[in-house]
Amino acid sequence: MEEKKNNKFTYREVNEDVINFMTKTGPLYYIILAVMGVSAVTLFFLPWLYQVYVGQGVTGLNVPVLWGVYLVNFVFWVGIAHAGTLISAMLYITKTPWRRAVARGAETMTLFAIVLVGLFVFTHMGRPWNLYWTIPYPNHRRLWTSFQSPLTFDVFAISTYLTSSAIFLYFGMIPDLASLKHHATGWRKHLYSILSLGWRGTDRQWHVQGRATMFFSSFVLPLVVSVHSIVAWDFALSIVPGYSKTIFAPYFVTGALLSGFAGVVIMLSVLRWACPVFKKYITEMHYDRMGLVMLFISLVWSYLTAMEVITGLYADNTFEWEHIKYKILSTPSMQLFILMIFSNTLLPLVLMVKKVRNCAVSMFAVSLFVLIGMWLERYLIVPNALSRKFLPWMWRDYCPSWVEVSITAGAVLFFATMFMASIKIFPVISIFEVKEDAGIPMEKEGH
Amino acid sequence: MRTTVLGLFKYVDRLLSASEKLKGEGFSVTIISPVPLVHEIEHIEGEKKSLLRYFTLFGGVLGFLFGTVLALGTSALYVMPRGGRPIFAATPTLIISYESTILFGVIMTLLGFFAIAGLPYFEGMPHFKGEAQCPEAEIDSFGLIIEDAGGDKWRYIEGVLKECGASEVRKLED
Repeated sequence: MEEKKNNKFTYREVNEDVINFMTKTGPLYYIILAVMGVSAVTLFFLPWLYQVYVGQGVTGLNVPVLWGVYLVNFVFWVGIAHAGTLISAMLYITKTPWRRAVARGAETMTLFAIVLVGLFVFTHMGRPWNLYWTIPYPNHRRLWTSFQSPLTFDVFAISTYLTSSAIFLYFGMIPDLASLKHHATGWRKHLYSILSLGWRGTDRQWHVQGRATMFFSSFVLPLVVSVHSIVAWDFALSIVPGYSKTIFAPYFVTGALLSGFAGVVIMLSVLRWACPVFKKYITEMHYDRMGLVMLFISLVWSYLTAMEVITGLYADNTFEWEHIKYKILSTPSMQLFILMIFSNTLLPLVLMVKKVRNCAVSMFAVSLFVLIGMWLERYLIVPNALSRKFLPWMWRDYCPSWVEVSITAGAVLFFATMFMASIKIFPVISIFEVKEDAGIPMEKEGH
Repeated sequence: MRTTVLGLFKYVDRLLSASEKLKGEGFSVTIISPVPLVHEIEHIEGEKKSLLRYFTLFGGVLGFLFGTVLALGTSALYVMPRGGRPIFAATPTLIISYESTILFGVIMTLLGFFAIAGLPYFEGMPHFKGEAQCPEAEIDSFGLIIEDAGGDKWRYIEGVLKECGASEVRKLED
């Protein structure tokens, strides 16, 4: 159903609000950016350098648990990346108008989340400089990438997703950059003039822009599903108890969407608090709609979580039983499992209440818990399954080292730093789409 | 010397009626707007087909072939027997082909968009014609550009534009 047109702002106002946000920056912004940037380097890059120098022994990884927090983070950030594409693509195809004000921010989030996904592959690799071994090319050793390995699927899926998301983000920004170049001065004017490629907004250009958006959306939507399905197959195609589950692909995709939407809500809330003028564009209605989507996805996720456990029990396999006992009944996994269920199943039920959905603070709080819960979900899958792998003499508990914890926290700060820097250079709100929200000016009503 | 007329409008229905009238009389008309008016224009002129789909289709087919040849061809060139698994496996090949179909499809759609929209469009490029610039129409006005409006035509076009409700009419010459 078409939403009621919002006539609270004019076209010019939208341009001015966005350019003012981008250009009028107080010292507090720079202080926060500097603190976050330095913290990101200190917590993420320095420990990583230390790990590269000393070796993987500084992590908590050891036989049989060789997939730890780095791959938990890898899966988590792939999930965060999903909502941006979903909001942009799926809601575009279904002509859902509330996506307009929030899509650009979500797409930006997607891009930076995928950058982190790539970085976590490298942190997980003991010798990141051997990356070239994973790239297929003829070589004298007659070695070749195995196209039957899900890890190779991953390389194709993630690189396709990164390329497509970057193209989708930039392509959608071209009309906005053309519009902003008239307000901007100095280096911004040059930058926007070059990046807008001489866009004039002719009827022919808009026509092909609309068609291209539809094609991009149609491509990107199945890509979202395939990327996280492939990430799920990294685990599900093995024979490890706790990994080898046919339900993993839809389970991972659903979890990704839940955490992705939670990430978008948090991003929008911070944006509204940092720049109150954006409350005109990102309204309670957006929280309400995203709250409903989160509630629905949470219910699906809860069902799939129950199925994951129930099918494991129903298999009546001693290895699977051991894994489930370890995951649900042993300390500290049990406490983490309870927190996960609280965060992802019980707490989101409050979203049934409209007042909760329309309140920025409560949505922020629920989303924060969802993110914690979704990170725990991945933690309870990735290293936990390996801790109880087949024979008891091989069992070993895993505990992340300070290096892994630091890199995990640093990644969040690095993500926030990239996002904060980008929103001052590129429009975080889609100007032409928000103008569409204001309505097309007609002298005669009902045209 | 080439003469171009630019009419600026505040209302889209006014702009479209001027556009329809001038097009009906054989003028070459271009609409410039800060938001897409695809639906409004198609409402009057009917749905337009775009060549873009051929770019997209070509990209998709090329990507599918690329993925298939890469996965199957390299399996043939670099034979790696793995515990009784087939050398040429359909499912993994399809996954690689699926991803490359999307990748090539997206890239070709972008290239098609650039080709059809005439981008990049900078001075000095072979296809640059130096059309009238209309910064207002990239912010909050709707512009109508009529090419080849020299001689007696200019007065007539100005009259039509004003009659249809243009807030401003400019004569541009180069």
